[in-house]
Amino acid sequence: MAEFIVDKDGIKRYLVTITVNGIKYTKMVKANSLLVNFLREDLDLTGTKKACEQGDCGACTVLLDGKPVNSCMVLTISVDGREVTTVEGLASNGKLDILQEKFIEHSAPQCGYCAPGILMSAKALLMRNPNPTELEVREAIAGNLCRCTGYVHYVQAILDAAAANQERKDG
Amino acid sequence: MYLPDFEYFTPNSVEEACRLLSQYGSKAVAIAGGTDILVKMKKEVMAPEVLVSIGHLSELKKIEYVPGKGVVIGAGVTHNEVMNSKILHEKYLSVSEAAHQMANNQVRNLGTIGGNICNAVPSADMPPILIALDTTVKIVGAKGERTMPLENVFKGPNQTVLENDELITEFVIPDGNFTGSTYIKFGLRASGALAVVGVAASVQMEGDIVKDARIVLGAVSPVPVRAKEAENFLRGKKAGEELFAEAGVIASGECRPISDIRGSAEYRRDMVRVFTRRALLKAVNEGHV
Amino acid sequence: MAKEFSYLNFNRNKEYSYIGKSLKRTDILDKVTGRGKFTADLKFSNMLYGKLIRSTEAHARIIKIDTSEAEKLPGVRAIITAKDVPSIKYGLSPARYDETIFCIDKVRYYGDKIGAICAVDEETLYKALKLIKVEYEVLPAVFTPAEAAKEGAPQIFEEYPGNINTEIHLEFGDVEKAKKEAYYIRTDRLQGQRTVHGFIEPHCSIAYWEGKRVTIHSAHQSAHYLQHHIARIFNMKEGDVRVILPYIGAGFGGKLDVSGLDVAAVALSKITGQPVKMFFDLEEVWYNGRARHGMDMKYTTGVTKEGKILFVESEIILDGGAYTGLGVASSYYAGALLTVLYDFDNYRFDAYRYVTNLPPCGAQRGHGQPHPRYAFESHLDHIAEDLGIDPIDIRLLNARRANTVTPNGYEVKAYYLKEANEMARDVSGWKEKKGKLPKGRGIGVGNGGFVTGAGYCMYRTDLPHSIAMIKVYDDGTHAVVYTNAVDIGQGSDTVLTQMAAQAMGYPYEDITICTRDTDLSTLDFGAYASRQTLMAGWAVKRAGEDVKRKILAQAAEMLKVKEDGGYRFGKLTPEELECEEGIVYVKQEPAVNITFAEVARAYFVKHGVLIGRGYYHPGKLGGTHKGAAVGTSPAYSSATQIAEVEVDMETGLTKVVGTWDVHDSGFVVNPQLLHGQVHGAFSMGIGETIWEKVIFDEKGRVLNGNFAEYRLPTALDMPYVESLVVDTFEPNGPWGVKEVGEGATTPTLGCVANAVYDAIGVRISELPLTPEKIWRALKEAEGAKEKGGK
Ligand SMILES: Cc1cc2nc3c(=O)[nH]c(=O)nc-3n(C[C@H](O)[C@H](O)[C@H](O)COP(=O)(O)OP(=O)(O)OC[C@H]3O[C@@H](n4cnc5c(N)ncnc54)[C@H](O)[C@@H]3O)c2cc1C
Ligand code: FES
Ligand code: FES
Repeated sequence: MAEFIVDKDGIKRYLVTITVNGIKYTKMVKANSLLVNFLREDLDLTGTKKACEQGDCGACTVLLDGKPVNSCMVLTISVDGREVTTVEGLASNGKLDILQEKFIEHSAPQCGYCAPGILMSAKALLMRNPNPTELEVREAIAGNLCRCTGYVHYVQAILDAAAANQERKDG
Repeated sequence: MYLPDFEYFTPNSVEEACRLLSQYGSKAVAIAGGTDILVKMKKEVMAPEVLVSIGHLSELKKIEYVPGKGVVIGAGVTHNEVMNSKILHEKYLSVSEAAHQMANNQVRNLGTIGGNICNAVPSADMPPILIALDTTVKIVGAKGERTMPLENVFKGPNQTVLENDELITEFVIPDGNFTGSTYIKFGLRASGALAVVGVAASVQMEGDIVKDARIVLGAVSPVPVRAKEAENFLRGKKAGEELFAEAGVIASGECRPISDIRGSAEYRRDMVRVFTRRALLKAVNEGHV
Repeated sequence: MAKEFSYLNFNRNKEYSYIGKSLKRTDILDKVTGRGKFTADLKFSNMLYGKLIRSTEAHARIIKIDTSEAEKLPGVRAIITAKDVPSIKYGLSPARYDETIFCIDKVRYYGDKIGAICAVDEETLYKALKLIKVEYEVLPAVFTPAEAAKEGAPQIFEEYPGNINTEIHLEFGDVEKAKKEAYYIRTDRLQGQRTVHGFIEPHCSIAYWEGKRVTIHSAHQSAHYLQHHIARIFNMKEGDVRVILPYIGAGFGGKLDVSGLDVAAVALSKITGQPVKMFFDLEEVWYNGRARHGMDMKYTTGVTKEGKILFVESEIILDGGAYTGLGVASSYYAGALLTVLYDFDNYRFDAYRYVTNLPPCGAQRGHGQPHPRYAFESHLDHIAEDLGIDPIDIRLLNARRANTVTPNGYEVKAYYLKEANEMARDVSGWKEKKGKLPKGRGIGVGNGGFVTGAGYCMYRTDLPHSIAMIKVYDDGTHAVVYTNAVDIGQGSDTVLTQMAAQAMGYPYEDITICTRDTDLSTLDFGAYASRQTLMAGWAVKRAGEDVKRKILAQAAEMLKVKEDGGYRFGKLTPEELECEEGIVYVKQEPAVNITFAEVARAYFVKHGVLIGRGYYHPGKLGGTHKGAAVGTSPAYSSATQIAEVEVDMETGLTKVVGTWDVHDSGFVVNPQLLHGQVHGAFSMGIGETIWEKVIFDEKGRVLNGNFAEYRLPTALDMPYVESLVVDTFEPNGPWGVKEVGEGATTPTLGCVANAVYDAIGVRISELPLTPEKIWRALKEAEGAKEKGGK
């Protein structure tokens, strides 16, 4: 159970420790803090987007303990002690993730508002299924709405990233 | 959108959770995956003052097969866990597939089977298939526990027989005689669409004779309903497309759909006819697909 | 007779360094790392959060607005209503400025803007919003054009008697005469629904004041129009309004109007002296509206025995919603461009746009086109069927050709609709499929196209439509392109940078683009009417050529040709030089060269900063009839789509299986981006054909203002897409370019509807073609057959 203090207004603030992109953050949050707002407002990680706020669009997708979830549907306090990865955590040491590289190559995003969410869904897919079929790719990003692209370049880029991963392994 | 203030508890056990729920009475609600409750709170349909987390409780997270009992699914298991469960793939792929047809990948990683039942919306996808397999639920409350058929849990839209301090802890799909089962969801988009109708069917076949059958209809009545007349009609008859088509007609007469923005009552009724036939055929031909 | 000049197969053998290539998007790194900032991502110190106060009645007189409870809530900073702001009327169609910042006396739709409130944080804001009480005297409301047109119907505006907001009666040629000559005449009436744009990023606007100047960051499609209207509304000089547009999560026409957020942010930040961020929750995007009009369309067409169109009579009734916005243009557009697609002389177009007590409609991708295209393409298929002609053949017969003038006065240069039809027919396997597919499977064709930029500014002005400037760094190692063309995702930043590189002869990688800031960059009207590639493209091309001219002149002074170089000795002239990919060389002697950077540095030392300027104005276009300006454009795109669908004959569920999508878009600067536009347009198009429709209850409340019940296609709904281009060259476009962004949506609705008709044999005359409608139509057809049989 998270420790808390009670504010003058009688509202509890809970102490949570959350690892985001490998960095441990310890913060006080109210129970009604949503993970998407925690990331965007408290940590300034605005790569995670917000649109429908009801789990329908996937713009806010992050990985929670490696699994993609809608961060607009997650209470920050429920993430206490857990690990979150956002789009900002995809690249490491200045090196882009293969998915990012392939998104670039295919000009996959247009306006790009959906891109962080799609990247996270795709990342989770490739972690669990390195060699997906086109249908599996479509399934994996079916919870990420994009109005600009018809998903065509996204699907190609993700399949391409999987193929490149395989090649690297084989090579 | 925003959430009003509330207090949040992270109990260590189901027992403690029930105690908290009992202590705070009608002010408190359990939260599992939160995918129903948080939407309702954002839309200001409800404003609980206390949320008691149960989503993290490991005792609610198992899927196991207990010989002589059946497949036991903890209420806190997520839809993706149901969808990917090896045990279910072996025993009742139809249950995994029902989970697969829900929502989208992200929501399936959060939403739980317990939440789907307890939220009790008519269009929910898990009730029909579980009822079709004669699933029972274990209910634990501050004052003790009870077991009952899942079918009897629903009272009306958003209403169950659960007391305020009670939780469903597990679902048991008993070892039964069903030889095949399936759930077909009819939604208006390939993903992320709620059911216009959902039809689950399970059958017990002896040769090509239907010995027993269950037909459970979702989204066409205040609670998931069994098409009992259609079931009776089928018993002892020789399986076949025509028979199932007739069963579909009977089933469509047994539901009480309403008209809403997803479809008219008339359309829903006819879809029950179509999907009852299709579900029966699938259950007979493909086993527990 | 002069031989017709063909712009076909023009680019086949051309190889450019930086255009005609799928170069990396300029903004791509920002977009794949999450680093790029959209408006809602911005934070300013001391920033307040604001929302609009919205009407909860569709039509009512405001009796009292009680803000006292809300004001008492700690953290609330300001609440404003009509009495606190200028009462000037605004809009986008100058003839019909009818919207005020906040409602004065009367609300005209559920969701109308009554006021605005700001507070120190979002939570306080939402709490306060609930404490505001508005008392109304409810008036009877009208929700459809039919209700609005009834005698004695409640009047929504004094200035629109009978609730008619726009009325059009145009005739070209002699329709009555043509009627007498026609071999066959047919009438069809079809309905298109009200949709929303469906972009994922809700609007957001942040404003703050510094002295007499205000700065606005907004999710908007045009820095210029926003600046112009804010200045007008607040009686300021345009120079005192700075507009900055961060990355924009797409617009499709929905971020072109001045939204209540922009105006309220400016007003509230003035009052509070703090930056104010105003934002919509997703549902409010539906209330803000400005999307596709619902249209009721009736077409009567007369043809010869062979199917040649002799005349078309069309009557279109538009559901305008509460205000005008761009609605006058939408109404004219609804009729204007049919004559571009098909070549016929006699045309009558009548339109009535009614105001209703619903959110206002405006422009959505393909402004005014998709519904009339849907209706006419369906109508044309019926005519073909009645005459026993293949649907593609009737289109080939009637397709407009290049270098012609439409009866309503548009000059059409490059135009290869016929070739697009032929290509689509051949790649789709049309001949093998049409009429031969099993029941439940169908194939259909639809044509479309659009203007490449509007010929006139939305308000009366003599300003050029686009200005560009290119500045080369002092040492020549980098260049910056300045233009306020707005990249809302379509990729204009990339395409314009490619054009700058090509025009300058300078590496693409060494150019950045500075856009979407009225202080820092240069005038452009922004992202609408598919205008930027051509219009901003001209300005950028000219700016690039201006730089190049200066570079060549400077280089001529620096380069020397050796006598034994085989060329000649002595001073060079700029004409003898060329610059490509950052190297200036002697055309006849490429070994004699110097880098662009060296030359640029020398220029800088001698003249100061090296700047190129470019300018574009389309000149005077079009005829003289009322409304002649709408639909004028320097160039017209065309497109043919063929789609194959599978319909579940029991449930009515349609699955689009594949599409072959062929575009005549002139020279293609970046093929990958062009295809991206086509894919996105097609997915929007199938959404609008099969699923999408805004639904209201009896109070005028939106019932599906979310992405659960307003269903955009998901990745699982998108079919196989083959996107192809006809190789054409537009003489009015820089390097021969035309548009693709908006035009690409225009054929889809008709095309998919025709495919569904082919699959099920029944025409459904109202979009969207939901499973239930198909199911019902099939049942009715079955019923009719049985009756007929008895
Ligand atoms: C975008 C989106 C799409 C969706 N699509 C579908 C769909 O296609 N089909 C469908 O059926 N549903 C759908 N849902 C609804 C929802 O995801 C499911 O119903 C989910 O299973 C709810 O589980 P949860 O754990 O998130 O419930 P919560 O929101 O945590 O709880 C829901 C209710 O159940 C109660 N509760 C939870 N667990 C228990 C328990 N063990 N004992 C007693 N009470 C309990 C809670 O107190 C609460 O009242 C969708 C939701 C979203 C946001
Ligand atoms: S913002 Fe979270 S799913 Fe749309
Ligand atoms: S790129 Fe614009 S929403 Fe996907």
